[in-house]
Amino acid sequence: MADNWKRFLISGVIVAFFVLLPVVIEMGTDTMNLLVMLFIYIILAQSWNLMGGYTGLFNLGMAAFFGCGALTTHFLWAAGAHFYLAMLAGGIIAVVLAGIIGLPSLRLRGMYFAIGTLALAEALRLTVGNVFPRTIYMPSTYFVDFSLVPRYYLALAVAIIALMTVYIVANSRLGLALLATRDDEEAAQVTGVNIFKYKVIVFAISAFLAGLAGGVYTFYRLSLSPVAQFTPHWTFDPLMATCIGGAGTLTGPILGCVFFVIIQNWFALTLGKAHYIVLGILFILVILFLPGGMVEGVDRIRRFLTRLTGRKPEAKGELY
Amino acid sequence: METAIQIITYGVIVGAVYGLVAVGLALLLGVMKYLNIAHGTFIMLGGYIAFWLFTLWHIDPFVSIPLVMLGMFIVGLILYRVLLSPLLKSPVGLRIGNSMLITFGLLWVLDNAATWLWTSNVRSITTSYTGEVLNIFGVKLPYTGLAGFGLALLVIFALHLLLTKTYFGKSVRATTQDPEAANLMGINIGRTYLISCGIAIMLAGVAGAVIVSSYSITPAGGLNWLLIAMIVVVLAGEENINGVFAAGLVLGLVEAVSVFVTGASYREVIGLVMFVLVLMFRPQGLFTRRVRGT
Repeated sequence: MADNWKRFLISGVIVAFFVLLPVVIEMGTDTMNLLVMLFIYIILAQSWNLMGGYTGLFNLGMAAFFGCGALTTHFLWAAGAHFYLAMLAGGIIAVVLAGIIGLPSLRLRGMYFAIGTLALAEALRLTVGNVFPRTIYMPSTYFVDFSLVPRYYLALAVAIIALMTVYIVANSRLGLALLATRDDEEAAQVTGVNIFKYKVIVFAISAFLAGLAGGVYTFYRLSLSPVAQFTPHWTFDPLMATCIGGAGTLTGPILGCVFFVIIQNWFALTLGKAHYIVLGILFILVILFLPGGMVEGVDRIRRFLTRLTGRKPEAKGELY
Repeated sequence: METAIQIITYGVIVGAVYGLVAVGLALLLGVMKYLNIAHGTFIMLGGYIAFWLFTLWHIDPFVSIPLVMLGMFIVGLILYRVLLSPLLKSPVGLRIGNSMLITFGLLWVLDNAATWLWTSNVRSITTSYTGEVLNIFGVKLPYTGLAGFGLALLVIFALHLLLTKTYFGKSVRATTQDPEAANLMGINIGRTYLISCGIAIMLAGVAGAVIVSSYSITPAGGLNWLLIAMIVVVLAGEENINGVFAAGLVLGLVEAVSVFVTGASYREVIGLVMFVLVLMFRPQGLFTRRVRGT
């Protein structure tokens, strides 16, 4: 229990730090943009993590949910709806999409889910590219008092919501059912876990989060090139960040996203276009040699250090 | 009437290419239980080899296919040795997931490497006979399309012979059914996997050479072809290599007819709709007979 309090305290301090940050110091526009993108990545990564990490189903079409959330929010907002309602609608449309692909494919083995989501994302990307070839803008009145600060707070708030959602899901009955499903689907089913129901519920939550991320992105960008939201890098970046950080943990994707955003910026400056290649190779190496990601790496180092100092390793009573 | 025949012939020609595109994916999925997300990227790679052979040395794409096959076969062997064989240690349940992640990473690396090396320009091969059509009773048949159709038939027939008539084919089929039992019967599973992986990538290369001569390739185009290959595999039914060609034809025909009706902007949606319908009503695939006893 004491351990839990410590953890809540640390997360509280971190949240307070980010809330107060724009108030206390004047950040440059670059840092602000970087942080907003970091928060959006964290939302997407946690959304992927719910499926890929906790349930063992790989969503290869995050871009579809993100893009649909973004486009729906954009059109409703531009049509005069209140932004929060528009964002909510974006999330709901993403859930509807999840239903279309999830209900038929989640009954079958995990491969069909991966194919289905990838097919959805690709079909949407090509179709949206054909139907909306031009950049879409918000009406010009929205540009007059553009400021990054509300964008920052919205992204932060949704990121916190996403983290709390994952925490609650992971520590609930649902989370246990998901872990059981991931580790041995047949055994879980035999024990009486309604796998299909839980999978559909968690997919809906995951898609909703991705849709919200799309809404945040719309609020942040104002003008969108519709196809750009559906490009596979919106799938790949969160997937990669989650796996590098440690799928199936709460902190892993956050670590992964921080690492990913920093590395991406640094590589993009020094290596230019080749940085995608380096990141991809890094990702493959992590999957091959460190399947638990950075979280596992930290764990290994800690265990190594305790062995060095000769203390008995502490028994860890946690599942995730 | 002529329009209808034209649409059907067009569908058949396109469908044969779809079958060719999917057969490598189906082989790897059946034999190794690996889902190769980078399949479309290997198709592009094969296309690029054919493209550069044509551009630099003026070798006709249909003549250079043996070279492409050889090159891609070697790529497949390397792929197996470096990336896929380490995964064999993990249990079967994890295997398909990890193979997806790794090949997804590979797709990212290769796509961007291709963009970096060869720019993102749209490439295609223009031979002396490109755009020429054979006119039979008012139905127009492009020569490149016909050659692609013939080649697809040839390749699929050859693969069928390989799988049913040779000792290697028998070991592939045995490994597909039950790797452990096959191993106990004295089949060298590692080598079967290695060579099937080589053949799968080689088939992707052949598809690429056909695509670059009748359509065009870009580094990012791989995902599009991967999507088609996946839909065809699902239509055919998992582990059903014989059904792949027929499933390709079905997809090609349905697409050709529906594009005629709705216009080309919604072409991919039709594939998606077919995919969802098949998952809902015939998840075992259109061309799989129920195995007796299960």
